[in-house]
Amino acid sequence: MLCLGIESTAHTFACAVVEKNGKIHSDVRKIYRPPDGEGIHPREASRHHIESSANVLVDSLQQARIKIKDLDIIAYAAGPGLGPCLRVGAVVARSLSSYYKIPLYPVHHAIGHIDLGKLLTGAKDPFVLLVSGGHTMLLAFMKGKWRVFGETLDITLGQLLDQFGRSIGFASPCGKNIEELAAKTSTYIQLPYVVKGNDVSFSGLLSATKSISSQKEKACFSLQETAFAMISEATERALSFTKKKELMIVGGVAANKRLSNMLKSICKRQNCKFYVVPQQFAGDCGPQIAWTGLLEATAKKGSALEDAFVKQSWRLDSVNIDY
Amino acid sequence: MKLIKKGAEGDLYLTTWNKQKSILKIRKKKAYRNPLLDEKIRRQRTIRESQIIVEAKSFGIDTPLIYLVDIKNCSIVMQYIEGTLVRDLPDSKLVRCCNKIGCIVGTLHKNGIMHGDLTTSNFILSKNKLVTIDFGLANKTSKPEDHAVDLRLLKEILGSAHVHIMKKTWASFLSGYKAIVGSTRLAQVTNLVSVIESRGRYATVV
Repeated sequence: MLCLGIESTAHTFACAVVEKNGKIHSDVRKIYRPPDGEGIHPREASRHHIESSANVLVDSLQQARIKIKDLDIIAYAAGPGLGPCLRVGAVVARSLSSYYKIPLYPVHHAIGHIDLGKLLTGAKDPFVLLVSGGHTMLLAFMKGKWRVFGETLDITLGQLLDQFGRSIGFASPCGKNIEELAAKTSTYIQLPYVVKGNDVSFSGLLSATKSISSQKEKACFSLQETAFAMISEATERALSFTKKKELMIVGGVAANKRLSNMLKSICKRQNCKFYVVPQQFAGDCGPQIAWTGLLEATAKKGSALEDAFVKQSWRLDSVNIDY
Repeated sequence: MKLIKKGAEGDLYLTTWNKQKSILKIRKKKAYRNPLLDEKIRRQRTIRESQIIVEAKSFGIDTPLIYLVDIKNCSIVMQYIEGTLVRDLPDSKLVRCCNKIGCIVGTLHKNGIMHGDLTTSNFILSKNKLVTIDFGLANKTSKPEDHAVDLRLLKEILGSAHVHIMKKTWASFLSGYKAIVGSTRLAQVTNLVSVIESRGRYATVV
């Protein structure tokens, strides 16, 4: 069984063909880059997606050496994300599905991150730290849903890094630039550290870091140290509460080495296994959508065309997992 | 000394103090944290926890007795509490305990203290008494927003770890809380809980 996964929630338009046994046959992405110092402009990003969509789709089929008719199902990211961007992926998916009569599966983007992470790392029943531009959540699977054990009370870790990065002139996503600058110093400037039980709040930290941004390297270093220590502490608290024996980190910020090293040290302390999604698949990509689509296909029929909407706001803990 | 728990905050050891069974809670250095930040956090929380545990006792909350505070090593020696964590109780007992937790939290709030880490593993049922522990994140505050943060965290835990009895436990908690703080304050705080929840990611429809 072959599934085409279409991702277009934010800056990435991607298509991938994945087989039911977990083999990724193709993975093609095009990323919209805003001008330096600016964030994603939804209209501009969606224009980029429209212009790239045909090429990305064709490339992904060619890379997999298949024709559209060989596809058994099509999955697309129905949310959460930027409306104009989501609609591009949904239109492509619906058109293919209705023209070629292929069953259609709208999937939750972040659940895709988790499912692909499990596939690639081999984690069985992990406690999940999901850190990206759209999410910062601590999750465990219980009674048919991913339950939230802790989360950010305002902006996400990805937004924190991006918004600070933009204020010093980088273009989103800026995690990598910040990581590189931070590596150049080890002088720590005290910044607000806000942990509320298993929850964190980053907005005050963002303002405080902006106020020391004239010392770029020190600011980046201190920002990373503080924010990652906060999320690590919240993770350790929730981990110790749930007594899970595996920790998996997924999402775009999972690519950061400093963060994964901190979490590794926590796992050692809490005597639990540590899994991090391979860097190549940490960011938004097609395989995450395709794989979740394949999993959903084991439990239910495809969605009717008129129900294949997009949902900009779609809370992860509201999704029933039937597979 | 026997290590009995490696918590997220610190390690708990079983020890004796004046021939009494007691707990040594030590906040060890965390290698992953920047040393400056680590030192500040461990010191501040040790001081705060010991002070607030004592203060809470003064208005009738059952907390462990503090025997010794060592600020240099960030450790506290305190009374050992025999019993079961509320988290591990059978469902019907857990629901009843939530009412008592509501009274305790109400009393703390009324006296200007937020607990900061209200989970079901921070209450021990010991011979029909409910003992509150782990005040490491506690704070002195009378702001309704801060109190709402306390309630929201508990609600999050009830809705995840105890989701099958979430409605009952939450209602039971609220009735206990209301009995202490009154219905006006309850309405004010629960309103703020909704406000905080709506700030969560993708909680509201754009």
